[in-house]
Amino acid sequence: MRLTRIHFWMAGALAVGLSTAAGLAAQAFAGTTATPIAQTSPMHPTFALLDADGANVLASGAPVSTSRTCGVCHDTAYIAAHSFHSDLGLSASAPAGEVPNGQPWETSVGLYGSWDPITYRYLSPAGDLRIDLTPIEWLKLNAARIVGGGPAEQAAGVEMDCFLCHLTDPGHVERTAALSAGNFTWANTATLITTGIVSRSGDTYTYNASAFTPEGELQPAFVTVHDPSNANCAQCHGLAHSSPAPLTTAGQDLTQRQTATTGQIVSAQKISQSGMNIADKADLAWAWDLHADRGLECVDCHYALNNPVLVQTSAKSQPDSVIFDPRRLEIGEYLYRPSHEFARGESAQYTVSADLRSTMRRCETCHETTKTHAWLPYTEQHMSEVACETCHIPSLHAPALRSVDWSVITPAAEPILEWRGVEDATGTLQDLITGYEPTLLQRADADGKTTLAPYNLVTAWYWLYDDPAGPRPVRLEDLQSAYLSDGDYHPAIVQALDANGDGLLVDGELRLDTEAKQAMVRGRLEALGLTNPRLAGEVQPYSINHDVVRGEAAIRACDTCHSSDSRIGQSVSLAGSGPTGVTPTLLGSGGLSLNGSITSQDGVVSFTPATEGLYQFGSDHIAWVDWFGVFAVVGVLVGVTIHGGLRYSAALRAKKPHGGPVKRVYMYSVYERFWHWFQTFAILLLVVTGLVVHRPEMFGVAWFEQAVLVHNVLAVLLTVNAALSLFYHLVSGEIQTFIPRPYGFFDQAIVQTRYYLQGIFKHEQHPFEKTPDSKLNPLQQITYFGILNVLLPLQIATGALMLGVQSFPQMETWLGGLPFLAPFHSLVAWTFAAFIIMHVYLTTTGHTPLANIEAMMIGWDEVPDLDVPMPTEPTAQPTSGD
Amino acid sequence: MKGIQVWLTGLIVTVAAIALPVLFFSTKPVEAGISPAAALPQHTIHTSHVDLMPGPYATGQEVTMACLTCHPDSAGEVMKTSHWTWESEPFTVPGRDEPVTIGKINQINNFCISAIGNQKSCSSCHVGYGWEEGTANANLAQAENVDCLVCHAQSSYAKGSYGDPAEGIDLAAAAQSVAAPGRAQCGSCHFNGGGGNGVKHGDLDTSLSYAVAETDVHMGEFDLVCTDCHVTHEHSIQGRLVADNIVVEPSEQVACTDCHVGAVHTDERLNTHTSAVACQTCHIPSMATQDPTKMYWDWSTAGLKAEEDDHYTYLNIKGNFEYATNVQPEYVWFNGNLAERYLLGDPIDPSRPTMINLPAGAIDDPTARIFPFKIHIARQPYDTEFNYLLAPITAGPDGFWTTFDWDNAFRLAEARMGLAYSGNYSFTETWMYWPTTHMVQPKENALQCNDCHTANGRLDWEALGYPGDPMDWGGRTPQP
Repeated sequence: MRLTRIHFWMAGALAVGLSTAAGLAAQAFAGTTATPIAQTSPMHPTFALLDADGANVLASGAPVSTSRTCGVCHDTAYIAAHSFHSDLGLSASAPAGEVPNGQPWETSVGLYGSWDPITYRYLSPAGDLRIDLTPIEWLKLNAARIVGGGPAEQAAGVEMDCFLCHLTDPGHVERTAALSAGNFTWANTATLITTGIVSRSGDTYTYNASAFTPEGELQPAFVTVHDPSNANCAQCHGLAHSSPAPLTTAGQDLTQRQTATTGQIVSAQKISQSGMNIADKADLAWAWDLHADRGLECVDCHYALNNPVLVQTSAKSQPDSVIFDPRRLEIGEYLYRPSHEFARGESAQYTVSADLRSTMRRCETCHETTKTHAWLPYTEQHMSEVACETCHIPSLHAPALRSVDWSVITPAAEPILEWRGVEDATGTLQDLITGYEPTLLQRADADGKTTLAPYNLVTAWYWLYDDPAGPRPVRLEDLQSAYLSDGDYHPAIVQALDANGDGLLVDGELRLDTEAKQAMVRGRLEALGLTNPRLAGEVQPYSINHDVVRGEAAIRACDTCHSSDSRIGQSVSLAGSGPTGVTPTLLGSGGLSLNGSITSQDGVVSFTPATEGLYQFGSDHIAWVDWFGVFAVVGVLVGVTIHGGLRYSAALRAKKPHGGPVKRVYMYSVYERFWHWFQTFAILLLVVTGLVVHRPEMFGVAWFEQAVLVHNVLAVLLTVNAALSLFYHLVSGEIQTFIPRPYGFFDQAIVQTRYYLQGIFKHEQHPFEKTPDSKLNPLQQITYFGILNVLLPLQIATGALMLGVQSFPQMETWLGGLPFLAPFHSLVAWTFAAFIIMHVYLTTTGHTPLANIEAMMIGWDEVPDLDVPMPTEPTAQPTSGD
Repeated sequence: MKGIQVWLTGLIVTVAAIALPVLFFSTKPVEAGISPAAALPQHTIHTSHVDLMPGPYATGQEVTMACLTCHPDSAGEVMKTSHWTWESEPFTVPGRDEPVTIGKINQINNFCISAIGNQKSCSSCHVGYGWEEGTANANLAQAENVDCLVCHAQSSYAKGSYGDPAEGIDLAAAAQSVAAPGRAQCGSCHFNGGGGNGVKHGDLDTSLSYAVAETDVHMGEFDLVCTDCHVTHEHSIQGRLVADNIVVEPSEQVACTDCHVGAVHTDERLNTHTSAVACQTCHIPSMATQDPTKMYWDWSTAGLKAEEDDHYTYLNIKGNFEYATNVQPEYVWFNGNLAERYLLGDPIDPSRPTMINLPAGAIDDPTARIFPFKIHIARQPYDTEFNYLLAPITAGPDGFWTTFDWDNAFRLAEARMGLAYSGNYSFTETWMYWPTTHMVQPKENALQCNDCHTANGRLDWEALGYPGDPMDWGGRTPQP
């Protein structure tokens, strides 16, 4: 009974706790007393808030200094010096035009100084005549995405804000507002507004004494310091949803950067249980992000690089005798100096800290792939050519940006945006989200492999002009001057663009789709004093690595890639309504090969990725092989039909064919017959299943798997049969009948050929006698010699190499790889098919049409009895045909 | 012809030499595991009773006598079951000198409180006829009082006062429609327990009559009926409700594992859960997905005409309610038995909630698993002098539902049930735990890691007795 009491009290306490928490939350908004509303830290000790002089803020009333406050225990100088989130590319700044792979106006590869056509505004390089953004303006405009330190500290003295990422519920909105308003001094203190520790009074903040102990430290309940949660990361990076309530987002929100550019949403919720209007939603009964569903958080993969729990030591730098090296930071040392360089992937944007590229664990460092992919043919091949994400992120189900057109602007000074994966994007929950399939591009990974990986391509158009220092994007304020006057379009603009003459510019009209319209805008920009204004366009690839799905939901259908409409190399629409006549340039970086062709017609732009170096079964074909095969088969068919027809008409004209006595000869032993018929069935089935494997879309995709299996089994059987028969023929000496004798061979071959071309129609006897010791005429000998000693071994060898591509890839590569082996195998198969037709036809050339087949069935052949003289016919040694 | 025979033999050998290896490799190994459907009972072939039950019948008892001519043992079988006796086997309960039985016949709940004394209404869910207050011994001894129709009539039947057929029922038509009980027959009482659809159980309501897979995968997708799991032998139906028992022998209970045997999950990590987590916990992520279920019942406002009558918020005869849909269950350790059952006359502490029943189990009980419950909370009357819960008479001409006089309702109960009443009453909070075990949802809806193993997951690890999330801190059984 004691336990039940515990239950009771626990339940009661829970109920009381919940109601208290709700009440307290309500009170917190009343605002008078300081009340913590977030979960307190289970571990972090209490501490005093210090100002920049190291004095307790309760005494000084000054803004909190994070470096002093947190610096009491943590090496904040080390942290600030080891944080690309803080640095934002400042330390790698370069003069305009000298940034590797950069646009001429970029001054850094980080957020601070790099060019982003989506946000458009840029940090003007020093010395520009026209300044778009000064460092201070840049800070204000990008306030929501700035951690502090780095450029923020340099330009405005804003320290790295530890609270923003390490509090349960930081006041990101308040801090952003403070930064945007230029209130840099108090910005970090403003982050505490949601904790109940501070209250705003005008432009400054006051400290709520009730949040502190008499000694001046925070009360334990107000210490909510913890590892960054997904919500912390999501403040700047994109949408992360962790509550059980249905996710409702219309997306199309550029402040949710990663979600807007790719459609990635980090949530454990099932897509089917989300609140949006998603096409075929019920079928999407899996989590938005499998890893979130499994309880992983952003920092589990993007961990601090000196985190002793998660740090990876490179296998390359270890002796073979060591698997795990326990020599690493003590946890205390780590907490003193936690590196804020985080493991990261290979995004094409923000190549800041390029040396950290691909420091993250890749899928295969956590996942065993060989066992779980045993079902996948050519597993190794797939793994080395295809990134895990390609199959495991088959589609995205939130709107993703397709194009940004800054060649025109709306009265609110915004560009025209186009979105992928959504119908009639209005930015509301009513939009039907259709989802989209990422574009597959070849990416050179840090480990040297080049794999196909999924991307979203975002196209942008904008005006450029020439500053004396080089090309620059036309500043937004200049665009506004050109387009707008008094908050609406300038009359000249309306006149030029208003197609239906109603005095309004609705979306369809707001585009520069003729040279005249572009010239008009160009003229207005020139009138502002801009030199050589011209339109430019670019395409940026956004890497897709989140929103991974389990195997059940991943791409499993082979024909996704291995068919005539393969995903790989499929063209993707880049934009539907950009300015005409401007083909955007492909910007590839981060190891990405953005090879391909862009086609542009009336502003509708498409991109077709190049697939050089990729040979996809089922998608790529060597056409001449199939044409050759078809011609060979059809040619033989036509030939034997004509020949047979002539023989038939000759037979009708003759009185009585093939008279004369015959004798029964035991021509084919049991084993020979078994070997022959086994081979017959095997080859016929191999040809049929081979056709299905070769061209499934023509001969039945539904049978593909079975066809592969049967083909493989038959191939092994045929090989065994061939080996056994070789042994038999060698041991029994029967092999002799297959070997053409050099002496007189050509003469005999000519005799035989002449027989087929002439004699056969005159009912002449076969020129060579068919006996058990000499069954084959010279033509047969040469043919079988070729078939059995050349084609069959070749077919076995190429087939075995294709089957064993995983086991001995070096051999395969040496012989030209699958792109050579597969078409070659097909070519030989066609030859076999043609041979079979000829072979079956020739069996009918015996003394009766079915005599030879019958002989092969029962072993006894009827051959002319030469011991009895034939009265009518002239002598010729009778033999049988095939 | 011998040649042809040789040829045919050869052909067969050749084809076999090719076909056998192909077949051998084509046949995929059958997944280890047994289809759950294999354990389902065979349904008997229906015999039409149209010609067997010509009628006419004046009373229900006449129908029963007709049934017994062909099924002579059936009434006797029914009379051994709790559907008839309305009480459990005797249990030894701590604090009681003699073994006690529990059931509607002698105990209360926190819905309509007491069936005894209110037979006029409550007997409509008794499998018998003509049970009036105070006639239990005489009535329950008569085989002809067994109501065959309530479970077997497929149409044309309903019960009225005292368990008798409702006015105007065509008993012959009802008798001719008999067949094995379906969902409608079981559901006529079990979907409406507590006085209405979905009141008592969060996992049983009329949405199951025509269930869709999302509500109940067994009934909606595979078209199971109640008796497919509640296997019935000689009218004894497997499966016990823990609220009316103290100890339920596993052999009496229905378990998921009766049908779902072996390693049921392909992911080994999930199979390691089954020693600590009941199947229901993950596979019934929410209750009352279609029809709302009653979560709270405040009797203290009954009779006050406190609000306009509304089925889901207030009825003058019953007081205030709260209903909810898509309810997330409460999770506690449960070993299949009760730790506590409030028995009539037990003292209460009115300053805190009284547990009418409390599931048994704890983290250190290896037979206990984390199990989902609906907790129904009520404010119901108690005697402020004797400090025990009262059982008002509500039905009938003198009952509370007619007179709205609590005092009189308790005095009537004193007379009918012998429960002394001091003359002073008030209202106190009581809790009942209702196990959630029906309405198993499709596997796609089952809880995932994140539902429990996150900072704000469903399970309160420390309340359950863990030092923290067992994914981080380890479970109660060491991992191999």
